[in-house]
Amino acid sequence: MEIHVLIVDDSPAMRNFIRRVLDLSGLEVGRCLEASNGEEALRVLEDNWVDAVLTDINMPQMDGEELLRQMSSHSVLRSIPVLVVSTDRTEARIQKMLTLGAKGYVTKPFLPETLRDELVHSLGGSDGTE
Amino acid sequence: MEPNEVQAAMATAVEDVLETMCFLGVCASGQGIAPPDAGGSTPPDGAADARTLTAELRFEGNSAGAFRLSLPLSLAQTAGAGFLGLDEAAASDAQAAEVVCELANMICGSVLGRLEHSTIFRLSHPELIPTPPGPGHDALSNTRWFDTGEGVLSVSLSMQHEYAL
Repeated sequence: MEIHVLIVDDSPAMRNFIRRVLDLSGLEVGRCLEASNGEEALRVLEDNWVDAVLTDINMPQMDGEELLRQMSSHSVLRSIPVLVVSTDRTEARIQKMLTLGAKGYVTKPFLPETLRDELVHSLGGSDGTE
Repeated sequence: MEPNEVQAAMATAVEDVLETMCFLGVCASGQGIAPPDAGGSTPPDGAADARTLTAELRFEGNSAGAFRLSLPLSLAQTAGAGFLGLDEAAASDAQAAEVVCELANMICGSVLGRLEHSTIFRLSHPELIPTPPGPGHDALSNTRWFDTGEGVLSVSLSMQHEYAL
């Protein structure tokens, strides 16, 4: 099964890194869309369906926490699994994001296999490679 | 918080980020902005005319402060190539600058997470700043250098406790 993803991070270098990890992950990645903050992500999601959103937290204009809050309260977007990819490794932050509806949490720096495994887990355990 | 605790967190964070994201190891490290044999007044890689990139960001939570990462352009280009998966041995100046900012963000987040497990921090966007002129000038309170074998980088952290938001 081909999966379509949206990467939300204000760092072009990190978006590039995540895209490369996905390319090499063995997952069948179709469209790999990008946004640099939560606002832009919501605009992308108005016109594009994705199977998962991978988002940073600290971003200008709209951060990952607000993006998650808005997606969780949206009748359609709430069904899209969100995986948080952040430098913040504090337990308080991780619990907050999971409570808001995130399906998984990966702390930067991360190994490629960690991101892959968490994404597969967020998608419900099926990675489309079997 | 003990200074040694901060230094240890900085060491673990830098080694973790460089190895995981840039495939760079650390062969030596110590307190201060450069190894003692660098003479104390030269840029981190010892070359008098080396261009140095410095990224700075600020943070706030239960504590507030600032974090800096400084490294020679040549090391930034090598780290950038590893980070971005480039076939070339070195990233362009713009790519190197982009990666230095992201490395500063990751190292700072990693240090803070190791020092304060239960605090939520807000980090500002990392920005390149003019490199402070030499050791002892405008250095933040905790500074540590790391020799990667490809060049020496330094990280600095100042932290003010019991900061009221």
